[in-house]
Amino acid sequence: MLIIEHLTKTYGEKKAVDDLSLHIRPGEIFGFIGHNGAGKSTTLKSAVGILQFDEGKITVCGKDIREEPVACKRDLAYIPDNPDMYEFMSGIKYLNFVADIFGIPASARQEKIRKYADIFELTGDLAQPISAYSHGMKQKLAVISAWIHDPKLIIMDEPFVGLDPKASHLLKEMMREHCDRGGAIFFSTHVLEVAEKLCDKVAIIKQGRLIREGTMEEVKGDDSLEEVFLELEAE
Amino acid sequence: MLKVLLKKQIAEVFRSYFYDAKKNRMRSKGAIAAWIIFFVVIMVGVLGGMFTVLSLSLCGALLQAGMGWLYFLLMGMIAIVLGAFGSVFSTYSGLYLAKDNDLLLSMPIPVKTVIASRIINVYLMGAMYAATVLLPTIIVYWIVGGLSAAKVICGLLFMLMITVIVLLLSCILGWVVAKISLKLKNKSFITVLISLVFIGTYYFFYFKATDFVRDIVQNAETYGNRIKGAAYGLYLFGRMGEGSWAAAGICAAVTAVVSMLVWRVLSRSFLKIATSNGAAEKRRYVEKQAKERTVFGAILAKEFGRFTASANYMLNCGLGILLLPASGVLLLIKGREVCETVESVFSSRPGCASVLLCTMLCLMACMNDMAAPSVSLEGKSIWIPQSLPVEPKTVLRAKTAMQLILTEIPVLIAAVCAAIALPGTARLKIMLVITALVTAAFMAMFDITIGLAMPILNWTNETAPIKQGGAVTLALLGGWGIIVIPGILYLLIGWRIGAVTYMIIWSAVMAVISLLLLRRLDTKGAASFRML
Repeated sequence: MLIIEHLTKTYGEKKAVDDLSLHIRPGEIFGFIGHNGAGKSTTLKSAVGILQFDEGKITVCGKDIREEPVACKRDLAYIPDNPDMYEFMSGIKYLNFVADIFGIPASARQEKIRKYADIFELTGDLAQPISAYSHGMKQKLAVISAWIHDPKLIIMDEPFVGLDPKASHLLKEMMREHCDRGGAIFFSTHVLEVAEKLCDKVAIIKQGRLIREGTMEEVKGDDSLEEVFLELEAE
Repeated sequence: MLKVLLKKQIAEVFRSYFYDAKKNRMRSKGAIAAWIIFFVVIMVGVLGGMFTVLSLSLCGALLQAGMGWLYFLLMGMIAIVLGAFGSVFSTYSGLYLAKDNDLLLSMPIPVKTVIASRIINVYLMGAMYAATVLLPTIIVYWIVGGLSAAKVICGLLFMLMITVIVLLLSCILGWVVAKISLKLKNKSFITVLISLVFIGTYYFFYFKATDFVRDIVQNAETYGNRIKGAAYGLYLFGRMGEGSWAAAGICAAVTAVVSMLVWRVLSRSFLKIATSNGAAEKRRYVEKQAKERTVFGAILAKEFGRFTASANYMLNCGLGILLLPASGVLLLIKGREVCETVESVFSSRPGCASVLLCTMLCLMACMNDMAAPSVSLEGKSIWIPQSLPVEPKTVLRAKTAMQLILTEIPVLIAAVCAAIALPGTARLKIMLVITALVTAAFMAMFDITIGLAMPILNWTNETAPIKQGGAVTLALLGGWGIIVIPGILYLLIGWRIGAVTYMIIWSAVMAVISLLLLRRLDTKGAASFRML
């Protein structure tokens, strides 16, 4: 579903991501872990086509993100770490905007909006301008906009930040359902307990380099993910 | 505590002199000095100089007529208007919409101290503007009318009183705007409307000022007696400036009472207004049949939504939408007369009225430059068009289309009116309309190209890309510079080939450049947008 091969991205002198390779397969929830500034967001943004990278190759559903960016983006959805959306729009206008871009028929989009807005208890606020939304409400809106067009691959940067416990729980369920239907999810997180319980696979990145990758069992063995992560960080 | 808050407030007001928001870093010492010099030149040189001239023209004549109080009353009114009415919206935002209201209110600071620091800040700003009128007023009076202890003390008291009145009016108007704004739905349109009325009134009085001053000087006694009879308070107010102790005492007492009342109202309502989220009554969502749009249609609708959501954007980048049809109406009334005058002035340059009329319409069309800041206005939301399956060229074309739609329709109205007013052949009239339309299209391409070349994405206040950005400045001034060239060229050599042929060539050149710019936008422009 998503193949990252030898990805390298530099900012001036600093290598933010250094020769990183990952393979996310259909049905997988893939967690991406690392300290602040390790290169997680840079990798995610490169995979989405927002950031231009220096070396390497990224393919989404078999298509090269550099050569066919629009085709790749049709198959994916992205939720950034800070959902800065069009504040002048109302929630419903934003969802309709995203649905229009993906060419979702009116009846189908309405059904999806109804379903997910009800799940996240956002229906009553959809007519409000996004500028009046709290951080958590914006995050919920970003999640709905990602799920509205049935993407194959969902890439999320710290998706649980700002969500209340109920919404976090619902999002985890939605992630699992999405992967059970054959989709894939690649997301970064600092909440190691969540990663441990939710992810099928995990990768740990440090100073732009991949230091550990595999199934949860392979990575953590008999320890907790937190212990493994802290150990690797200390090395 | 108050001192700390005040220091923070003042640092915030003058932040732009020390900090470059576009580059997100502190300015160099040279740049800081240049900004401060620029500020002093504007305040002392331009505003102060203007009011010194006005004071000189009024003071001597009114003193001779024994109407010194009328002089103080008039200048005092001007100071109040400049200090208070010009800053209604900034007072409102400064008092109630400050981003650190929540932070300060969460700290162990008495609410009244927070209000006091905000109010003192409003006072200093109002006083600064009022002083550009008041200082020349008093100094000119002391020079022309002579000095005495009473004149000096009462003159200074007059100045202090005016600045307090400016503060009171600013606070009252700011409070009224805050109250209204809590209930309004279409705030941006109403702000635009009020601003346009204000600008219109300002220019009306500006152009009438000379007649107004002359009229007052000639009929000082008549006006003076009328004011004295109908509004004795105003007479006393003017007398205070002349050095009347009794008038000064009464005015000071009244101002003190009003100040206490205003303080009471503000301190009671501040917390409620400042902590309100500013949203009008919550809109309930009612599910409606969604309207499907194409990708281009969706982005275009988003661009229109962005434009109409911001009064700042509409006022600074869309003035041509109103000016063009208004000038069209004016041309229908006075156009023929204007054309005949132009033709007679440039009688050796036949057909110049049509070319100059077209140039004028294009200059006005340049005031619509909404495409220029549209790239920067994506700001931190740039990830949306970049992560969605949309070709960058479609995004750029939608931004250009917004300007085309918002400009071509008013240009068409104005150009048709101009064509009706213009004496000449049908071919000449048609070419006038076509040339204006093609040039407006070129301006849209030019503006989006500049906007893409000079983006500011890390702004915290939308004024940075809309008003202070290099793209907008270049789009407006550069646009004017480009438009003036065909007009000048016609007067120099173009008249030899005749107006119709000249406008055909003008249109063709603009059309070719527009197509080249469009091609560049689709290729290099799209690549630049992807890299932002």
